[in-house]
Amino acid sequence: MADNAVSEGASMDGHPLKLASIPATDSTVWTDASPLLQAACTGLRDGELIHGDNFNLFAAMSALEIMDPKMDSGIVRTYYSIDEAIEHGAAPIPISLDSTIDVQCTIDIMDHLLACEAAWHKGHSLAQTVFSCIYLLRLDRTAPHALLHSYCRIIRATCKAVVSVASNARTHEEEDLFTMTYGLPLNGDGDDKCLSILNAVEDTISRQLRACKAASLKRRLPEDLEPLQSNPNLEEGFCKALLCRLCFRKHFFHILACMKRPQGRGLESARKHISSCMTELESIQKSAYFIRSCFGESCEGDIDDKTTASGREPIGFDAMLNSRLSALMPPRTIKILSWKKAVEYFVKLLHDLDVICSYSLDPHLESLLRFVVQFQKSQPDLVARSHLQLLLVQDGKLYGRDPLFSVITKAAALLEATKNHDIQKNESILQLGMLVMNLLKILCTNAAWQRRKLGKFLQDWHVIYVQLELALRNEFGEVSSRSSNDENVCMKIFQHILLWVEEQTYWITFRFLILGFELELYSTSEYCMVYWYLYAVLIKLAEKTQLKMAVSYDTAKRKGKKKKDSPKDLARESRIPPAVTFLQCCIFLAEGLTMMLAALRNEISLFQSPGPFNTEQEKFAQHFELLQRACIPDHFSYPSYKESTTHARFSTLAMYNYFKDAQRIAKEVKSSFSNDPERLAELQKLEHVAEHNSAAQDLICRLGALDPSLKVSFELSHHPFFATVVAKRS
Amino acid sequence: MEAMTEEKAEFEEEEIKYVSYGGEHHLPLIMSLVDQELSEPYSIFTYRYFVYLWPQLSFLAFHKGKCVGTVVCKMGEHRNTFRGYIAMLVVIKPYRGRGIATELVTRSIRMMMESGCEEVTLEAEVTNKGALALYGRLGFIRAKRLFHYYLNGVDAFRLKLLFPPPSPPDQELYSSPDT
Repeated sequence: MADNAVSEGASMDGHPLKLASIPATDSTVWTDASPLLQAACTGLRDGELIHGDNFNLFAAMSALEIMDPKMDSGIVRTYYSIDEAIEHGAAPIPISLDSTIDVQCTIDIMDHLLACEAAWHKGHSLAQTVFSCIYLLRLDRTAPHALLHSYCRIIRATCKAVVSVASNARTHEEEDLFTMTYGLPLNGDGDDKCLSILNAVEDTISRQLRACKAASLKRRLPEDLEPLQSNPNLEEGFCKALLCRLCFRKHFFHILACMKRPQGRGLESARKHISSCMTELESIQKSAYFIRSCFGESCEGDIDDKTTASGREPIGFDAMLNSRLSALMPPRTIKILSWKKAVEYFVKLLHDLDVICSYSLDPHLESLLRFVVQFQKSQPDLVARSHLQLLLVQDGKLYGRDPLFSVITKAAALLEATKNHDIQKNESILQLGMLVMNLLKILCTNAAWQRRKLGKFLQDWHVIYVQLELALRNEFGEVSSRSSNDENVCMKIFQHILLWVEEQTYWITFRFLILGFELELYSTSEYCMVYWYLYAVLIKLAEKTQLKMAVSYDTAKRKGKKKKDSPKDLARESRIPPAVTFLQCCIFLAEGLTMMLAALRNEISLFQSPGPFNTEQEKFAQHFELLQRACIPDHFSYPSYKESTTHARFSTLAMYNYFKDAQRIAKEVKSSFSNDPERLAELQKLEHVAEHNSAAQDLICRLGALDPSLKVSFELSHHPFFATVVAKRS
Repeated sequence: MEAMTEEKAEFEEEEIKYVSYGGEHHLPLIMSLVDQELSEPYSIFTYRYFVYLWPQLSFLAFHKGKCVGTVVCKMGEHRNTFRGYIAMLVVIKPYRGRGIATELVTRSIRMMMESGCEEVTLEAEVTNKGALALYGRLGFIRAKRLFHYYLNGVDAFRLKLLFPPPSPPDQELYSSPDT
């Protein structure tokens, strides 16, 4: 199905091509089908659809694709094939006989390709972006133009490498449009040599740059070099503009190659190339001044929307040529990113890749999860996220290096030696390893997709918990003093892992709930139930975390790793770990918000939304269906939610200010996180919210029922999921 | 194309007549409204698919003989749930903000409920504050966010309304909003 001008049936001047006639044979005879076609034309009325027993109306409707030239005869395009476009001079080689114009146009093409590439990364199809370039679609014919040829070749190789990364990540997000390359000439012979081809061109231009610098200093030219273009005053500027663009491509290609190396071995080299890329991007941005000035145009003026530094339209692009290859019909109307925005996109991409390359490959799952969550806060795009995913999960191991069982045993606070235990061959333990791997992959996807996957994922974690619990009971149900040492050890391992599975399940649930705020899924009238559920989950999470830490301390002590109890040890044992205290702060905030929302609803009917068709109970069922199905947490249901909140009043709020407790805890626990700037920043936000809400609560309790002009709103202004209460007199 | 001034039409709510889809003569009215106002392009076959198979779920609003709004829906089995789907809802600009869309949708939903649907669903652009408020008031929640759902790259919310399980009729619960 590759495009072939001959099969299109249209020619340059619009007359039907004279096809070679097919002779009749012994078993075939020509017959005039015109009457049949005539009858067919009147067989259906305007607007009717063919349908039948095996092809219903839905199938018929779905089969139709508007704006697909094969089906939609009304669709008109400038050119009906790539060859037709080329024959009409849409992509001339050389671009111009005037070498200065040729260079200017080449730069425009390079800039526009960058803009197309950024648009592709942002979620449009390759066919309508990068491969809207006619030069790229017929790369071989650019061979006489070394500059264009080398640039196009490295672009093609780069696109192929990026598609490969996203395909291997295989997260199947909505962005699967990104990896569709059907019918596009992505595989080029000799593309593996793209770097050396580029280097040769870079070399030539570098020598030319040196030559014109020497000429400007009135020094003798070392070689008899042919200038790039005909205006000697512009030669230096053009050389520089071209060099930074070529070098950017070179370093970017190197980044991809380095990051592809297994077990993160290429990360340090990648960082060097990232730094070089950033430098080249700065030079590219600076070159815009020269490029615009050499047209004699003012450097002010509105070129913000343009896809090139010069502000001119590039030669050689036609997005409609590939419309039959484009996966979507009708094809999306794409707005190619402006050149300015494209550069900004690449700056961000490079920054995100740098964060990934700087990561220490921490073998502790908890730290890794926090890193991924933190990384996602900057809303990295698909290319960065795919790279992260491939770094984390390779060959069924963490970073391609750590077996999942050892990751689990570390996370479950088991002793180092446990990672070699035979228990790792247990079927349930193997499945648990798969779940950890899938969790890491899911956490690298976009927030919308991630939340949906996490919700469904909870069922898998619930099932594995049940399986492990069953295994524990069946195999070790009768552990006694006669049991072997090994059986005792096995039992301990299972117990630790079970505890960790519970903790992890609540962590996933917590993430599922708070993503709802980020994605704006909750209306204010639903905040009460959401905070209530969050409160329930946080309590369980804190409980399991504390239990895990206590058990691990206990185990360590019993193994004789701890010397006899010093007063410090005893104090540490009874002290709540900072991680748990942190959670307690969140618990108080969630509880405070639940009660305040409940009181506002009960006292002054605020944020109630009785619809004509259903009640709060249906909304509760919908929001928490996946959690309820996985029994997370057990015994937390709509009736218990109602029971907890029905009696909330301003008077009850006045008796106990949860926000004050949250504020106090946030202050106290700060010192434990002095080496953790991210946690400190978050504690600052929590403290801020607690302080505001405490004051607002005091005001509401004093005035609430009495002052009808009091307006209360809940804004996510200081924290991504704990709302700040804003109480004003209107 | 349209008038540059966004003049509001003057009318009393009682002047709006609501009718169920009545046949082919209504189809061009629906099509012209939807083509004019909604961002996704549909073929005539898409419209026919909906109104031929579920005529009882589509409604039109008329003011003095002029069609000013329409809703087009379907229902069917989806993964063991019988559910309704709101495909298109349009009210022309001068008539917005007066409850016409709410009334059109309400009629459709009531029909779905009476036909045994367990839930109703639709997608709406995350930026469409008007639609989100309308459906929110009717009891829909934002069940999911769909990344880059629309042709113009905008995200969508999947909105869902879950009916309570069938039980002895509670008149207060199911009364229409204008009683």
